[in-house]
Amino acid sequence: MVAAGGQHLISYFQAIVIGFLQGVTELFPISSLGHAVILPKLLGWHLGQDKPYFLAFLVATHLATATVLFIFFFPEWARILKGLGRSLRDRQIRDDDPDARLAWLLIVGTIPAGLIGLLFEHKLRSLFASPTAAAAFLTANGLVLFAAEYLRRRAPGAEERAQELERRPESETSSDAEKRLATLGFREAVGVGTAQAAALFPGISRAGITIGGGLFVGLTHEDAARYAFLLATPIIGAAALLKLPDLVGHNGDGVRGQALVGALCAGAAAWFAIKFLMRYFQTNTLTPFAVYCLFAGLGALLVFVF
Amino acid sequence: MRNDRLLAALAVLLGLVLVAIGVTYIALDEHDIPSFFPGHVSHPASHHHIKHGIAAIFLGLACFAFAWFRTGPREERVARPG
Repeated sequence: MVAAGGQHLISYFQAIVIGFLQGVTELFPISSLGHAVILPKLLGWHLGQDKPYFLAFLVATHLATATVLFIFFFPEWARILKGLGRSLRDRQIRDDDPDARLAWLLIVGTIPAGLIGLLFEHKLRSLFASPTAAAAFLTANGLVLFAAEYLRRRAPGAEERAQELERRPESETSSDAEKRLATLGFREAVGVGTAQAAALFPGISRAGITIGGGLFVGLTHEDAARYAFLLATPIIGAAALLKLPDLVGHNGDGVRGQALVGALCAGAAAWFAIKFLMRYFQTNTLTPFAVYCLFAGLGALLVFVF
Repeated sequence: MRNDRLLAALAVLLGLVLVAIGVTYIALDEHDIPSFFPGHVSHPASHHHIKHGIAAIFLGLACFAFAWFRTGPREERVARPG
């Protein structure tokens, strides 16, 4: 299907740009939704971001990102799913089974954000889908990231985590990272998971808010990022799968080829983004992303308002 | 122990109700669902509140999981020396 005037609804060039953009910004703590709203406006592209065909296109890019996340953390997911199975079989979450505990931490963290997303995603998207609102929220995202770094210094630190690890029985099946993540409490997991729902506002980053939440409860940057990506996988994947009928149905007419190209680009970008971020957060902080969001948000606001 | 059983029974009951609500949302359109359900419309319609249904079913499954663990064996905590 082509638009009036013989032009494609989304060109292949636009699909490549948006695909790469989505793959990177979904995982970087700088908001994919905000960039998907702001950048086309700055480039003068009239993509109809609230139109069903564009949302169908985004389903493919999100599905690709979730798939890449799952593949990247496949060894972790395999252990987590086995732990989940063990806990269901034994009808208890044993202290010496960090994989089982992490599985349930991810589940209780996903439920509130999933419910809020299911019930309010459409209303919030309709209310705040304007580029000006997205720019304002992107600025707010920068402030949130700054606040997360500031509050991290007051959070229970690595020493408390080490003591908690010391207290727990040894596990031979889990990696060190999973053992550290499993020291999170269920209330902390619910809090960090619920914070994900803020990403329904275009401009607020899901990765940023969950990494910030992880820092706030005393995780290191690397562990907070790992937890954020594990937490993001089911919710991004489930949201994309839920909307897959849009892409397969008539809403996807005219954009399926572009969606495939966009998905491949998003997948490739997500792979490199996650490799970069897992290395980056071993030694670095959220501050550069906070500065970027603040300046990009304020800059876009100035362009849109004046 | 008695409280555990009672809580588990209540969770199972609530879970069944939530799953039934979820199936109702998915199976019936917004006109045919009971009028006290959020999302009911009085005019004829063909829209189904699939997301409401999925949310209710997930909450129901969470209730079942709670009951499952609540009635499971308790791990004995042994004080560690030192």
